[in-house]
Amino acid sequence: MGWFRGRVLALEGLDMEVQRGEVFGLLGPNGSGKSTAMKMILGLLRPTSGRAEVCGFRAGTIAARRQIGFLPENPYFPNFLTGMELVRYYGRLSGMGGSVLEKRIQELMELVRLGGEAGKRPLRTYSKGMLQRAGLAGAMVGDPEILLLDEPTAGVDPAGSREIRDLILELRGRGKTVIFSSHLLEQVEDVADRVIILHRGQKLREGRLEDLLTRKKEWEVSVQGLKEADRKELRGWLEKHGAEVVREGAPRERLEDYFLRSLPEEKRR
Amino acid sequence: MMGSLRRISAVASNTFLEAVRQKVFAVLLVFGLVLIYGANYFTEFSFQEQFKFLKDLGYAAISLTGLLVGLLGASQLIPGEIERRTILTALCRPLHRWEFIVGKYLGLAVLLGVMVGVMALAVGGVLGWKEAQLVAREGSDPAVAAAIQKEARDPRLLQAVLLVEVKLAVVAAVAVFFSTVATSTTFVIAMTLMVYLIGHLQSVAREQWLESGEVVQAGAKLFLAAVAFLVPDFNLYNLIDEIIAGNEVVWRSTLEVVGYSVVYIAVLLTAASVVFEGRDI
Repeated sequence: MGWFRGRVLALEGLDMEVQRGEVFGLLGPNGSGKSTAMKMILGLLRPTSGRAEVCGFRAGTIAARRQIGFLPENPYFPNFLTGMELVRYYGRLSGMGGSVLEKRIQELMELVRLGGEAGKRPLRTYSKGMLQRAGLAGAMVGDPEILLLDEPTAGVDPAGSREIRDLILELRGRGKTVIFSSHLLEQVEDVADRVIILHRGQKLREGRLEDLLTRKKEWEVSVQGLKEADRKELRGWLEKHGAEVVREGAPRERLEDYFLRSLPEEKRR
Repeated sequence: MMGSLRRISAVASNTFLEAVRQKVFAVLLVFGLVLIYGANYFTEFSFQEQFKFLKDLGYAAISLTGLLVGLLGASQLIPGEIERRTILTALCRPLHRWEFIVGKYLGLAVLLGVMVGVMALAVGGVLGWKEAQLVAREGSDPAVAAAIQKEARDPRLLQAVLLVEVKLAVVAAVAVFFSTVATSTTFVIAMTLMVYLIGHLQSVAREQWLESGEVVQAGAKLFLAAVAFLVPDFNLYNLIDEIIAGNEVVWRSTLEVVGYSVVYIAVLLTAASVVFEGRDI
């Protein structure tokens, strides 16, 4: 960590495995070690002990990095480039070139909705959501097996956040493995198959969201058109059968869904 | 191999593009204006003196501008990327770190090459302009006109341009080496300037070492040996002054200095790559 500077133990005894084709969430508060874990997977930091492997290759090797597309937490992109130039630069860094690269750039810019004039603007004129989308296109340019997204929706408005979430789901549909970190738990819940929860560099929990979040002793039914008298009768029936009513009432919509529903159609995209 | 060249050229062209878009070439405009102003300054002197003055001024300006751009540019190459964290998005690609270093360096070297080339063309243009002025004024005698032309169209200036380029390329390589060790731009500039100054005294150190015998103590001898081997000998580029002064410098000597510079650059970039390989980002 440098002369005269103390060492910080950023991660300790972390043991995790991500399956091919799953969306894996790295959760935890700031300073919990999420970004450090990502940097180790990329080989930008070396663990003091232990090892990380990517598709059977030691993390940090060229073969391992060929399998990964990375989107950093903040848009650390050369802002003198345009959106298309950024993707082209990353494509060339991945060893691509010629018409194959140009075709790939067009495809990706359309996919992240930065086709046409938007892709020809300098990055410094982009909103945070546009930057993240350009970064995603850059991460995907080499057609990697794994996408490593560090806080992909941080600082992005709900509509932009929804777009990124949809993109993650689309990537899963294409068979890609997505590892992403976030402290926005609702968003993780929407897309992740499995999560790991880190705290101060240590693993607290790991598992499938279904297993971690499902209250297996409860059963929930949502109905429409039930009259007050029927409700009373239903409660009586439930008590008679030994069931305890834990919650009851009209369900509430999530604020994000309500907000997005309130926007005009063209603003939602 | 093809992939490696493609990656290096991607880093190099991006470095060059960044400098261009940050309007580094605006300094060239200032340079041109200074030169044209200088060309009209000492008109009362003989034409030989006027040409000597113009060449002196031109090459001093090229060296100084190039040194500033090379030093500031090279000291920013790696620390700037680390500070802006753009290095994260580059080094996470299937790219060797040495390819990144070499690409960054080549981008800057091309920038310096283009700058020196453009400035040399400006010097050539001003010399030509002066030639036309003087021939119109004093060249009624064909012998004088021929003498003016000889002074203005001196082919040895090409050697001077080449030497300035390689000298700046060595300075940039020194700065790139230090920038892989440090995170602070100030440190890189200070260390590079120190090497630059020591490099001008290097020949003195080497002579001391070779001729010291029993006069110099063992510790001092070791130190002088280290200086003589590690620091490039910037006195070799004094050939530029010889050319400007009108002295004969054969191409062989120029090419030897170019060869020496290329070897030093290769050694410095190899050392920079080795240091950078082990660095946590």
